[in-house]
Amino acid sequence: MGQQYVPGLAKSARYALIGSIAAILLAFICYRIHLDFASVIPFYLLLVVLQSLTGDFRSCVIVAVISTACLDLFFTEPLFSFRIDHPLNALALAAFVFTSLVITRLVARVREEARSAKLQKERLDRLYQLAQRLLGLDPEAPLGEDFLEPFRRLFGIRAVCVFEAESAELHLVGDSQELAVRTRNAYIRGTDLDDVDARLSVRRLRTSGQLSGAIGFAGLEDPAETAGALAALTAALLERKIAFHAASESAAAAQTEIYRSAMLDALAHEFKTPLATILAGVGGLREAGSLTAEQEGMADTVENEAFRLGSLTSRLLRTARLDNEHIRPRLEPVDITALVAQLIRQYSARSSDRAIFLTDGHEATQALADPELIRLMVGQLIENACKYSRPGSVVTLAVEREAELVAIRVSNNGSAIPRNEQRRIFERFYRGEDAKRSTSGSGLGLYVARKIALVHGGALDLEAGQSDDRVTFCLKIPTTKEELQHVPTA
Amino acid sequence: MFPRHSSVLVVDDESALRKALRTSLIASGFSVEEARSGEEALGTVQRNRFDLVLLDVSMPGMSGIDACRRIRGISPQAGIVMVTVRDQEDDKVQALEAGADDYVTKPFKLRELTARLRAVLRRTRTSDAVEPVVLRAGNLELDLHERLLRRNGEEIHLSPKEFDLLAFMMKNAGAPLTHMKLLRTVWGVDYGNELEYLRSYVRMLRKKIEADPAAPEYIVTEPWLGYRFRDPSDPDSPPKSAQDD
Repeated sequence: MGQQYVPGLAKSARYALIGSIAAILLAFICYRIHLDFASVIPFYLLLVVLQSLTGDFRSCVIVAVISTACLDLFFTEPLFSFRIDHPLNALALAAFVFTSLVITRLVARVREEARSAKLQKERLDRLYQLAQRLLGLDPEAPLGEDFLEPFRRLFGIRAVCVFEAESAELHLVGDSQELAVRTRNAYIRGTDLDDVDARLSVRRLRTSGQLSGAIGFAGLEDPAETAGALAALTAALLERKIAFHAASESAAAAQTEIYRSAMLDALAHEFKTPLATILAGVGGLREAGSLTAEQEGMADTVENEAFRLGSLTSRLLRTARLDNEHIRPRLEPVDITALVAQLIRQYSARSSDRAIFLTDGHEATQALADPELIRLMVGQLIENACKYSRPGSVVTLAVEREAELVAIRVSNNGSAIPRNEQRRIFERFYRGEDAKRSTSGSGLGLYVARKIALVHGGALDLEAGQSDDRVTFCLKIPTTKEELQHVPTA
Repeated sequence: MFPRHSSVLVVDDESALRKALRTSLIASGFSVEEARSGEEALGTVQRNRFDLVLLDVSMPGMSGIDACRRIRGISPQAGIVMVTVRDQEDDKVQALEAGADDYVTKPFKLRELTARLRAVLRRTRTSDAVEPVVLRAGNLELDLHERLLRRNGEEIHLSPKEFDLLAFMMKNAGAPLTHMKLLRTVWGVDYGNELEYLRSYVRMLRKKIEADPAAPEYIVTEPWLGYRFRDPSDPDSPPKSAQDD
């Protein structure tokens, strides 16, 4: 702050010359009209004050010295000599010198401050105008010519250049290829630049704490004061642009997902009534009682398959709903081992061509959980294990206590999940390349299962260090109440 | 147990489903009439007396829940079974609060439906009769006068609340009982949201009466809704794992 205003030497000399002539002229006039020393002093003080209004300290000092000399030569005894006989006169002269210098200093400082305040205000005004112009632009438009032109117009600079790291695009307004090169270099080197001779200034741009570009100015007055503020403004707008972009992108994605879930919901509902009709019809066929054993068997098949389709639809609906909503588990003490054992019985009965075993965990393991949600989640894992393994293979489950957690592991024989897919399988609607080819699915199962695990304060992960032919998912949920108090409600 | 040809009014806006249900229910020994909407059902119920009403929850025009409430007003003795589409507990709770005796969720097997209908029919018939002093289910015997529970003839100690809870459940064997209803009846009208009381009592009861408390045979959980007391010796009682698909 406060870069001092220093007029050139020539200007000081000019002011000093005018002031000195005035001082000598004043001495001449006062001498001619026979004014005495005491009456002359106020005139000289006035002269010094007037001189100090120029704001030029050097010329003021010179004028003060010359005024003192005039007073000494023409108005103190002996006249026309620098000697002073009377001590009172010497004291008066000294007081004059001191007073005039103090006045000069004070007035000069006041003027200087007023001047810099005015400059500051102008700069702020221009910055404000610039901000207003820039905020009026389309927030998602690139920082091109429309963006740079107001800089040039409002700050009277020769050229301005911005480099955006994300798109690696460089925009230049005005004619200075050198500025373009040095702006990019400033970004690459990660340093600001001030070249006083070439009158170039470059500032880095930071958004969200990250270096994201640079802006350069050619011919900017007062770069120490202004360049930083201009760069901050640009960074803020860059941040705004990124935020707008992210918002519109996620809004579009959210919209798609709403449609998708609504479609699932509608489809599932539309399925249920025809299925109910089929079930009522086939049931009635059997009740009518005139079927042969073979026909009865076929009626059973129709009934079972239609019912299975209904269950699948129900589960799809439930999953889609859990996907859409904030899950609020209804916690109660649950014996996880018993729950898992029950699920194993249930799924074994359903898929006769895969053996499902509980290998570990025959003791009761209590956890505070929502039994319905846990059932849904573990059921999903068992289902996946069956779906992605060959018929005749073995699916194993294990329930173990690990410190404050209960771990449920579900594993199956099958080709390992490729490394690049391991993280993505938990994403919404993601379906692995293999999965797309070989089996059907909504792409919601694991996503919702993990959501359920998280809302219980637990985790669902693909077990690390899986061997080539065994895939293991590990679900962990806390066993104690203390643990659950940190659970987010979402 | 009850006269043949109990009358059922099937209320559904889907004609194919109505037709299939009509044929099948007649084959199963019911006499059947149809109504296409809640409004039509009200008119039919005013004209004729039905033992049972099978009522779809989601219909255009008057909702099934509203129709249920009005039918209950016109014909208090009829057993009402709601057909829900969403397997969401809200619909079921609403239906039960509107006076329905039970519900089935689409899609359902015919046998499941007829079992429900018969069970409801039996409950509505016996509710007017004099209450028996001893309630029996499977190998359980609950003596309401002596306030004693016997399992396989062996006496089992119950706390007063446990006894009240079990007695209420056994009196309503086969019927779905919402958490709120259980809490209000057993604990008092000021209760309704104290699920943890109910859960801990149910847990204790299961330890005392179930062979395997983790896979209960008598007190079956109705997910997110409440409980249902099941008599394992009753052929019409719902399967043990009603909540599983």
